[in-house]
Amino acid sequence: MAHDGPAIELAALSKNYGRKVGVDRLDLTVEQGEVFGFLGPNGAGKTTTIRCLTGLLRPSGGRVRVLGLDPVADHRRLAPRLGYLPGELRLYPELTGEQTLRLLGDLQDAPTTRRRELCERLGLTTADLGRPVREYSRGMKQKLGLVQAFQHDPELVVLDEPTEGLDPLVQEAFFALLGDAAAAGRTVLLSSHVLPEVQRVCRRVAIVRAGKLVAVRAVAALREERARRVRLLLPDGQGGRDLGRAERWSPQWHGHEVRLLVPPHELVAELREILAELPVLDLSVEEAGLDEAFLDLYRRPVEEAQVRS
Amino acid sequence: MRARFPLFWMVLHRRRRMLAGLVAGMVVFEALIVLVARAVPPVQLFTSVGRGVPDSLKAFSGSTGDVSVASYPGLLGAGLVHPFWIAMQLTAVGALAAAAVAADVEAGTVELLMVRPVSRLRLLGERAAAVFAASLALNAAATLAVAGGVALSPTIHQVVPLRGVLAAGVLGFAFTLALTGPALAVSAAARRRAPVIGATIALGAVGFAVNFVAMAWHRAAPLRYLSPFHYYTPGDALAHGTLPWGPLTVLLAVGVAGLGTAAPLLLRRDLAP
Repeated sequence: MAHDGPAIELAALSKNYGRKVGVDRLDLTVEQGEVFGFLGPNGAGKTTTIRCLTGLLRPSGGRVRVLGLDPVADHRRLAPRLGYLPGELRLYPELTGEQTLRLLGDLQDAPTTRRRELCERLGLTTADLGRPVREYSRGMKQKLGLVQAFQHDPELVVLDEPTEGLDPLVQEAFFALLGDAAAAGRTVLLSSHVLPEVQRVCRRVAIVRAGKLVAVRAVAALREERARRVRLLLPDGQGGRDLGRAERWSPQWHGHEVRLLVPPHELVAELREILAELPVLDLSVEEAGLDEAFLDLYRRPVEEAQVRS
Repeated sequence: MRARFPLFWMVLHRRRRMLAGLVAGMVVFEALIVLVARAVPPVQLFTSVGRGVPDSLKAFSGSTGDVSVASYPGLLGAGLVHPFWIAMQLTAVGALAAAAVAADVEAGTVELLMVRPVSRLRLLGERAAAVFAASLALNAAATLAVAGGVALSPTIHQVVPLRGVLAAGVLGFAFTLALTGPALAVSAAARRRAPVIGATIALGAVGFAVNFVAMAWHRAAPLRYLSPFHYYTPGDALAHGTLPWGPLTVLLAVGVAGLGTAAPLLLRRDLAP
């Protein structure tokens, strides 16, 4: 079933649980063939949004289209084209890995052509698959979860915290899988709080906080916006002190050394001012990590972050 | 598990040991009742009380008519409304009705099932069929055990026809359907197993108590219509060899109404842990 529009379209999506707001008027578009990151702290509304996308939750308001279909009304047409790994993967403990994959494959109503290949790539052996799931480690369960999400080669894969519990080798195999999916034109929505993995595989990211969309950015743009980490060494032995206007950059004192995070467009002016007022012995300037850029967006008031995006 | 109807087979597969235990327990229990009836005639059992058997004890023989517990049909009927029989039926219905929807929501496994092209009505249909299958197995076990005992005992067979045993079995199945429907409705709306099991027990145990009180105390007599035990009368079926179509229809109607309530509840709700 060809669909020319975006893979995911959310327009003013809201979901309330009684008086509690899960997601508040969230707008988001993910294009077909895109590997899209979905970021936010715990309780931000990521999982609620994902469950609305998969038809598990009924939105309280707004419009949801996935591959051009309504996830609730068109559930039976959409679900065969969808792969999903829940954030908290729960399996039937007494079923073996093999029985689990067969059960989920039987319910999928689509041929599970990739099962064997995926098990090999993720290191699930025949012996592993013959054991009951209750004997599985966290990582093995997650591998099984990845196989069931990809085994029918879906057009859209929604992954909620996919690398949880995976060892570094299996993580590499997982990223290779994502690369193959992207190369094959599949769409991937990757929800995570592990920022380096998002930086590695996603072109664009959405950041949500307290149920609201904070920003949608290209990862490259986010990199360029990163704050500069400034380190100053003072010789006078007086330790921490008031830095005047520079106090707004959250100075952290370590003996005679102070560290500041300064936005790139304010860096030169800020340094001039500091150097004019303080007896600086040494200084260094470097780019802050991507995670600090995200954390900056997490912390900033929602309205301010939205204006900037 | 089978590729066709995997939701049906899975729920039975996961509870196969419990169901096997309940079926075996049912066979042994009903066989014991028949053995007791053969060893000590019921009249002799109850004349030792020293006075007539009160009407309210008909509640224990599964009769709303003229069948006394101090008779073969009454005593065999007592085996089919005994607390042990009730407990086994409630265990099966409660566990499997809870497994229909609420247990998967509570355990979080519902996400992996319902993100697939499985309609909510299919989930309910296959899971309801699993409860029916388990109830059928339990009632078939009880019916076959009683029928076997009756067939092997000429004295009992003289007053209890085999078609009466079959009629009592059919009524037993209808009775469990009357419990299953409301239990499925609770499961369709619940987020945890406990309310489903609680509702099933309340319907069974409170229903029995209401029927007993209604028979013992004439002022409470109208309450008997609220109890499923008023319509479940295996003692009468065993004595007369006929199926009481009116009570059977009421029991089936309650089951269907429960199922009919479960469907819209399930269609409207969120399905996530």
